[in-house]
This record gives sequence, C-alpha cells and structure tokens, in this order.
Amino acid sequence: MAATPDAIGFYTVQHCERAGWTGGYLMLNSAGRPLEFHCTLPVRPSRAHEILFGPTLREHIIGEAVGTALLPKARVRPLLICCDQPEALHLDASLPAPIGLVARAAEGEEGPVTSDSLPGYESVLIAEAECLVAMERAAAVRELAERFDELPDLMEPFSRIREAIQEAQQQVARAA
Amino acid sequence: MIIPLRQPSLPPVQSPAAGATPLAPSPADEAAPHLGAVSVQLGPSWFADQDLVPNRFATLDAETVRFRSIPIRLKKLAVRTTGFQFPESPAWQLPAKKQDDDAAAADASAARKKKKAKRKRSVDDAEGAKLTRIKPPADVVKLQDRLYYLLQPPLEQLVGSGQLNFPFKPFPYQMDGIAFLFPRYAAVLADEMGLGKTMQAISTIRMLLCSGECRNILLICPKPLVTNWLREFSVWAPEIPIAAIEGNAAKRAWQWRSGEVPVKVANYELLMRDRDIVLGDDVHFDLVTLDEAQRIKNQSSTTSQIVRSISRTRSWALTGTPVENSQDDLVGIFEFLSPGYLNRDMKAASLGKATRDYILRRTKDLVMTDMPPRLSRDAELELTPQQWASYEKAENEGVVRLEEMDADLTIQHVFELVLRLKQICNFDPATGSSAKLERLVADMEEVAASGQKAIVFSQWVSSIEKMRSALAPFGPLEYHGRVPHSKRDGVIDRFKNDPDCKVILMSYGAGSVGLNLQFCRYVFLFDRWWNPAIEDQAINRAHRIGVKGAVTITRMLAMNTIEERIARVLDEKRELFEAIFAETGSPRSGGGLTRDEIFGLFDLRCPQGKIDG
Repeated sequence: MAATPDAIGFYTVQHCERAGWTGGYLMLNSAGRPLEFHCTLPVRPSRAHEILFGPTLREHIIGEAVGTALLPKARVRPLLICCDQPEALHLDASLPAPIGLVARAAEGEEGPVTSDSLPGYESVLIAEAECLVAMERAAAVRELAERFDELPDLMEPFSRIREAIQEAQQQVARAA
Repeated sequence: MIIPLRQPSLPPVQSPAAGATPLAPSPADEAAPHLGAVSVQLGPSWFADQDLVPNRFATLDAETVRFRSIPIRLKKLAVRTTGFQFPESPAWQLPAKKQDDDAAAADASAARKKKKAKRKRSVDDAEGAKLTRIKPPADVVKLQDRLYYLLQPPLEQLVGSGQLNFPFKPFPYQMDGIAFLFPRYAAVLADEMGLGKTMQAISTIRMLLCSGECRNILLICPKPLVTNWLREFSVWAPEIPIAAIEGNAAKRAWQWRSGEVPVKVANYELLMRDRDIVLGDDVHFDLVTLDEAQRIKNQSSTTSQIVRSISRTRSWALTGTPVENSQDDLVGIFEFLSPGYLNRDMKAASLGKATRDYILRRTKDLVMTDMPPRLSRDAELELTPQQWASYEKAENEGVVRLEEMDADLTIQHVFELVLRLKQICNFDPATGSSAKLERLVADMEEVAASGQKAIVFSQWVSSIEKMRSALAPFGPLEYHGRVPHSKRDGVIDRFKNDPDCKVILMSYGAGSVGLNLQFCRYVFLFDRWWNPAIEDQAINRAHRIGVKGAVTITRMLAMNTIEERIARVLDEKRELFEAIFAETGSPRSGGGLTRDEIFGLFDLRCPQGKIDG
C-alpha cells in the first residue's frame, strides 16, 4: 500500500433484502476527487449465520467480514477512514489508519450520535463535520484535520459510494 | 407421573358410574405418601365437584430423554471484492506557475481560510439541496470509465468550495448542462437562446483543462462573436489562457501550432484561409467546439467539410437552432459529431430517439420559471394608400410575369418578387410612406417616455437607413453589415451606457446572435425573417438571463399582403420541430420556407416538381 499524502477513505456497507450486503470503499484526495474505488459483490449470509449471529450479524458483517476484506485492498494508504455506521468502528484495531464515524452521516440510521452515546469516542471536527474517533486516536486525528480543509463535505461521499454500487450492480444485472 | 389426590375426612370419592370397575391400584399409590399429598375439599363448589376431580389415578413412566449434540460448522462469510484506480487530478486548478515558496505558502494559507468560510456556507446551503452529478453517457460502457464520472464530486461543491471560482452562482439547469457536456465526446448543447450556452461551455472547458483531460481546445464561431467569447472567458474562466487566431499568415501559422495557449478561438471564415495548416498532420485538438453550429448544417459546404476534417478527440456543437429548415440540418451537424450516425431517410421520431443521449435542449419556459415573461404582440397594420397602390401593382404585374415564364420559372424569380413585395410592405418606394414606421415612431415615444430602450430588427439595411431620420429624436444607433467590425463593440457599449440612445437598429444577420442586450425591454421586428428560429435568436438578445422585467416583442405585420401569408406558413412549420424534439427535450423553434412553399405563396406550381434538400 503506497503512502499518498492527504488521501481520505470512506467506507460504508449497503444492505438490501434482495441482494444482500454490499461494501463500498472510496478513496478521495484532499480536494474530494476520486483516487480509488473498491466494492464487494453482494454478501448473502446463510440461515445459519442469521440464527447464530442473531442481532450481532450486522456488526459482524460491517465491522468484520466486509471491512477486513475490503479495506486492505486499497493501494493508497489513507490518513483517515470515515464511516457512517457505528459498527465499522470495530475495524479500528485492524486498520493502519484511524477510523472515524461521521456523526451526521450516521444520523439517518442511528438517530443523533454524539460522544455521549458512544463511550470511549471523542468528537473531532474535520472539514466542518463532527467525526467520532477513539479517544486514544483523537489527538492524532486532530492534527490531520487541517490537511482536509479543502474537502467540501464529509457526508456527500457516502452517497457517491451508494450510486457507484448501484451502477456496478446494474451493469452486472445487464450482463447476466 | 400423576400425583394422587387425597381426601382424609371423606370416604374415597366414588365414580359417578357406580357400577364401573375401579382401576387397579397403580404403583403410584404406594409412592404417593413420599411425594406429599394435595388435599381437595369436595363440596358444593362448582369447580371441584365430583365430575371434575378424578377419583382414580394412573401413572406413566417416561424414559429419560438423552440429549445429543450435533456440531454445525459455520462457514466464514465469503466476500469477493473488485477495485478500480483512477487517474489522479489533484484539484480543479491549473498547475501553478513556479513562485517563491514562502509567498506560495502564504497565498495557500489565505486561500484556505477563504475556502473554509465559503465551504461552511455552502454546506449549510446544501442541506437537502439538489446535487448535480456528472452522469456517464450511454456510449461509455466500461464500468471503470462510468464510475470515474459518477464518483466525481457534485458540481455544487465546486462552486461552493472555492476550488473553482465562479463570478455568479450558476442556475441549476446550467449545472445540468455542465454535467451533460463534461463526459461527452460528442454533444449538442441546443438550449434556447439566452440560457447561457456560452457560460456552460466555458465552465466545462475549464473543468476539462483543470482536470487534465484536455490540453488543447479549439473554439470556432462566427467572426462577430470572437470578441464576445474572449470577454466571456475573462468572466467565467479568468485563469485560462485564451487567444484569438488572427494577424498575418505567419503569425496565424504559429498560433495554430502553438501549444502555449490551451484555448484558441477561430472564426469560420478563417478556416477557409488556413485550411492547409488546420488540416495538417501536426495539428490536433482534444476538443473542437462549434458555436452557432447551424453554420455547418449543409454537408456539402466548404466550411462543413473543413470543420469535419479537423483532427480532434471530442466534438461539441452549440446552437439554439439545431433544426432551422429541415431535419437534414441536424444530420449535417451530426456528420461533425459522429459521422454516419444519422441519415436523411430517418423519420423525425427515430431521429429524436437516436439523438436523445447526445442533445440537451432546454427552453426558457422549462427552466426559467421565475424569468420575466416574453410578451408577443402582432401589430397588424394596414398599408398606407401609397404603399397599397405600389403593392397591388407590383404583385399583379409580378405574378403575370411569373406565369408567362412557364418552364423557365425558377425559385429565384419567385423569391425576387417576394422580396420586392416585402420591401414595399416596409416603405413605399415612390414616396417613402410607411405604416410600420408611423407605428414604430408612436411606440418609441412611449418607450422613451418610460425610460426604456428598444431594439428594432429588419432584414434590410436599406430599410434601417430609411428609419434613421424619423427616429432621430430617440438617438438611434445602427448595428448591421455595413458597420465595420472594429466599431461594433463601441456601438453596443454606447447603446448600453448613453442614456440618450433609446433605440438600436439592427439587421437580423449582424445582430441576431451572441449579443447580450438584456437591459432592453422592447423588441420590434420591423419585418419578418424567413425563419422563426432566427427571429427567436433576435428576440433573445433582450430576453435572456439577467433581464429585469417583461420583454415586449412587437411583430409588424402588413395585413392582406405576402407578409401575412408567410407568417401563416411559418407557424405551420413549427410542428415538424416539435415532432423531432419531442423525443429529445422540448422544442421551440421553427423552419424556413421550402421551394414548394415559396411557389405556393402565389399559387404557382414548382415546375421541377418536389425538390429535395
């Protein structure tokens, strides 16, 4: 993985009843332009997975199965990885870069997310957006914040990932 | 096991069936004392009477269930991934020239602070607002290429973030136009006049240059519009170096081949002179953009042939009137964009379907819902007696002469008569009497009194000259083919800035394209052009973005004359364009007259039969 100055990653997993779980990982430069995009084929857990993981299945898929398979694929090493699902924060230990939850991006599914509702996490402002990172990483992430000053928005890239996943799935469907 | 019930104070409960044989005592009876007994008081209670309380007991011994464990091996979730790398374009900025490091750092820091403030505002503004994404065209098939466009930041972020500065915030439909042009290698931007095709093209060119996708761009436009393009570039893309190709042959040859200036502007006429250089092996453009692209609608014209032969990667056409006379015009333009893609035999509907992904056309009605209205009125005038006498005489004699020509009759003969009659509708050749001029002077008094300005269009410079003296109180200025190009910008500036100049007299040819006169609230069409599309272009000099109030258009029409007949035919022509553009977008255009229709104005039959093309 090459170290590229000022790259930032965005990771999300999309769930669709019909297709399954699809992970997307978008790497942007500090101006918000795409460097890399990685996605998974839809992951369909078996009935056994559903029963045995129970309510923790989502956490397993987002924070383990998809994340650990997808994030190491990037050639560029980001300074920070942003996610919009709290479950992805579990990946922190296995990543070379800190991972932060973009609070407003997570609100859609989770309701208001603050450092109070996520013990052990601290809020850091990046590109004017509140990002929750593990306390022990907060100081390091704060130092990075200025390097992403030109980034227009921390929320919007997640919608780019969703559109790209949709485009990829449509093309696969057309080819089938 | 059933626990026996005991009733210590009462005799054993008898079965209701007294004669029934009691069940043999079960082994449980013996075990009961060890298990403890539950006493039941039998009495009149409804719930514990003899019917409900068993008086005999049975036991059932069940074998102990033995549990066996069955291991389930849970497979690890299989996750297959795919990935794409994109060429990095650091930002929407041209590579900076070398400068002192400290100064550069200071500039960058100041710029960052500005951008931060701007971004804060834009993010706040953008909450829930529409985001315009660059959508890949249908002919981009490779997933990696499609994703490259899809994953670009939305255009609103460019404007809001300060990465590219815009003097004004573009309208949403203009964002759509930029998003349409950016990924396309063949495109027609066919917005109605006045919606900002120039701005959309410049902004997209700017993005292509800044993203490194293009480095060498040629813009071709009519000669009078060269200065307009240079001016618009200075407004919308001030950091992009641009040069008009001009000067002597040696200078032009150097300009054509020079790679120093990324955007070159040439006029159509110049291409004829420099064709050997332009078509040389050492000249290639990443993008060639044609302004007023209807100029190449005729495939056999030299201009069209040269333009189509220019070595290029991308081809764009800008025109407010992609179809002026017939659908062949569109086929002609597509010969530049994608040779052979369309053919003349296609029906209007299939033509529209085939071009849907290549043409973007919006009308003011569609996108500028808050734009002041365009009020049209027909000034239906009776010719003055002197005009009428001249007109009748000319028509009667002319028709008789045409009929006498029989097989020698050509379109030119009919055309000459039409022109002659139209000129009489403007001014009586003998006396100079003019019903239209009388009406114009009366209307101009009202325009001037309200502090407004007006544009008057005519087909003929000679008619404009005849208006001059009658309009003298309104400080008339003239803009037509006899005004040297070098003086034209000065005329427009004076009209804008001199409060005594209330009216400008323009010919359709010189004044109908590329000028921004949106401060005018009144437009007079002294005579009708052959083609409503040209009239629309003329009207839209005033009715365009930035106009502050309703624009009133007065179309002078001499009743019971050739003008009325032409107007009727032209109205019918609009239907054809609607048939084509119903498939691509929304139409508002019209075509000129065919030969058959011109003959039909005098109930004459075209001697060669139907003439194609």
